[in-house]
Amino acid sequence: MSVRLKLPPILQEFSGGVETLEASGRTVGECLEELEEQFPGMKESLLDRQGHLLRVFGIYINSDGLHPVEMDAPVQGGDEIVILNFLMGG
Amino acid sequence: MSSYNGRLIRLNLNTGKSRVEEIPRQWMKDYLGGRGIGVRYLYEELKPGVEPLSPENKVILMMGPLGATTAMSVSRMALVTKSPLTGAVAKSVMGGSFGAFLKFAGFDGIIVEGESKKPVYLHIDKDGIHLLDAAGLWGLDTRQTHQKLRQKHGKTTQVACIGPAGEKLVRYAVLISDLRCGGRTGVGTVLGAKKLKGFAVNSAGPLSLHDADGFRKVNREVIQGLKASPGRIRMSDFGTSYLTLGFEKVGIFPVKNFQEGHLEGVEKISEEALAGIKTKNDGCYGCMTKCGQVRRVTEGTYAGAVSEGPDYETIWSLGGNLANTDLGSLIAADSLCDRLGVDTVSAGNSIGFACELYQRGIITKKDTDGLELKWGSHAAMMTLLEKIGNRQGFGKLLGEGTKRAAEQIGKGAQDYAIQVKGLELPAYEPRAVKGYGLILATANIGASHMYGRPRDELSGKKDKLTEVDKGQDAAKAEISQATQDAVIQCSFGPVTGFNPQQRSDLLVAATGFKKFGDPAYLDKVGERILCLERCFNVREGFNRKDDTLPKRMRTEPLANAGPATGQVFKNLDGLLDEFYDALGYTRQGIPSEEKLKELGLDWVVADIKKFAK
Repeated sequence: MSVRLKLPPILQEFSGGVETLEASGRTVGECLEELEEQFPGMKESLLDRQGHLLRVFGIYINSDGLHPVEMDAPVQGGDEIVILNFLMGG
Repeated sequence: MSSYNGRLIRLNLNTGKSRVEEIPRQWMKDYLGGRGIGVRYLYEELKPGVEPLSPENKVILMMGPLGATTAMSVSRMALVTKSPLTGAVAKSVMGGSFGAFLKFAGFDGIIVEGESKKPVYLHIDKDGIHLLDAAGLWGLDTRQTHQKLRQKHGKTTQVACIGPAGEKLVRYAVLISDLRCGGRTGVGTVLGAKKLKGFAVNSAGPLSLHDADGFRKVNREVIQGLKASPGRIRMSDFGTSYLTLGFEKVGIFPVKNFQEGHLEGVEKISEEALAGIKTKNDGCYGCMTKCGQVRRVTEGTYAGAVSEGPDYETIWSLGGNLANTDLGSLIAADSLCDRLGVDTVSAGNSIGFACELYQRGIITKKDTDGLELKWGSHAAMMTLLEKIGNRQGFGKLLGEGTKRAAEQIGKGAQDYAIQVKGLELPAYEPRAVKGYGLILATANIGASHMYGRPRDELSGKKDKLTEVDKGQDAAKAEISQATQDAVIQCSFGPVTGFNPQQRSDLLVAATGFKKFGDPAYLDKVGERILCLERCFNVREGFNRKDDTLPKRMRTEPLANAGPATGQVFKNLDGLLDEFYDALGYTRQGIPSEEKLKELGLDWVVADIKKFAK
């Protein structure tokens, strides 16, 4: 089972500039763990000190938002996980 | 037929008379509206060296060509004057609904000049323009003023007014319209000096459009795309508060007057904590996002306090910057600032400045009216805000802004005044995001976060910490912001929903001006506005020496700030050169004659030759 992950520019510094990666976890959290092994620091940069997803990021499966169950959300082969980085400010 | 009314109200407070006059049609084409036309009037009508709190200064309220239409988040209003805080050009953009109803009343703007002998306010309705006695309003806070004016003129009256801070000439007083605020750098102060309490308008449209069908077609596409936009939904859910934890983690969120980048207990004032006391959304005219978060404190010392906010800036200025993690006090302080009519960024920054002076023993209880200014003391913060807004005791000094206060205190206090050109820095640590630092250094109004955003840097497309190859991005960001402020659109892109071409198409359909159909033309308008603001400042004696950052950023390594720990801003000079080159300015930060001519600002050349230093 393979899932595609699409990263925002701010996470591509961990993947050497690669935007789209493959993973095989059963949940979003497992897929990110897998990537963390390949690219240390990537998952950690998504989380606050309590281990929750920072709200400057949003995770979507096939364009559907996952808030508030991002990490536990199940994924299936062929799914596309998109991580967005929101940066409006002020 | 056009979405421009093409006329404004000129209110002369010396005579108490107002008249309606046409806005030059060419100015609409060259400057679009809002900040653009406002700055054009300011440059034209203010002599160099005018004292900002004198009758000779003017306040210009100006709408944009899309204001009061059904396009999303474009009914904001620009406020332009000469700042009493900086002595430079001032621009600010206010949300809410007042501006839309001003347009419905048939006016694109108001120019306020002169000075009244007694407190007055301006009322506009179908019967005309009336300057009315404000004796019964003077001294009231902004919320009370709204209530009184609605009791008198009707529930649907749109109001924009100053509070006690503006009346008493606190140098960073603002204008408040319902729960929205505008006027950083002291627009409210200038209105207070003129004894103009505010504005009330009763109107009922409609607004004409050049091509209503064409407008509707483009707008429908935009709105369709907006409905499911993740960025828009995030803004609706959290407002800008969602930035807090993410920015604190990477050292962008300054703590204890920019001494460090880590706030112990930040989760207590995080977006999640604030979401827990949210009661509803609120927002501007013609916006489906309603990013305003109305929150109510349910327990503790501040139970019952309600505010629309705080937004990211105020979470920082009255929270992190003071090491204050008391959620209830943040809501109460935000509400207090709105009622007093005081800018939360400058107020919080000024209190942080005072706390650091106290920490270092530069001031003591003898100077602070007996207040112990410990980091994290929300009770002291609330007391100081009251004192600032009412210009009492130690608050009178802090209400002068950090630059003037430091000069008066002496004893090295200047080193802890975190300001540029006299305007206090916002919630972005320049050492952790260098391109933003360059914008804060070069912004013509002083260190404002609303003068351009380095999007590539914030999104991770560019390294935040490098200090080369950022001048062009900063120049583009400032140009882009100028165009946005002329349209006038909300600065949160995902809230408006349109791309540059759709924005151009909406402008053409609304106004009939075909040139607006080319996004590159609108970029050039933005560049012209930015350049004219710089020329205004040159006429006032500003140059490269004023495009700087506080000494702390240039000399002290940033402490405890995640990936930005140890950072110093070392190459500001190099970045300034890049920035000036990108804009066609000399290395002294003065627009070159060639650039002025390219932008159609030939008429400014003689001034620049005369005043450039």
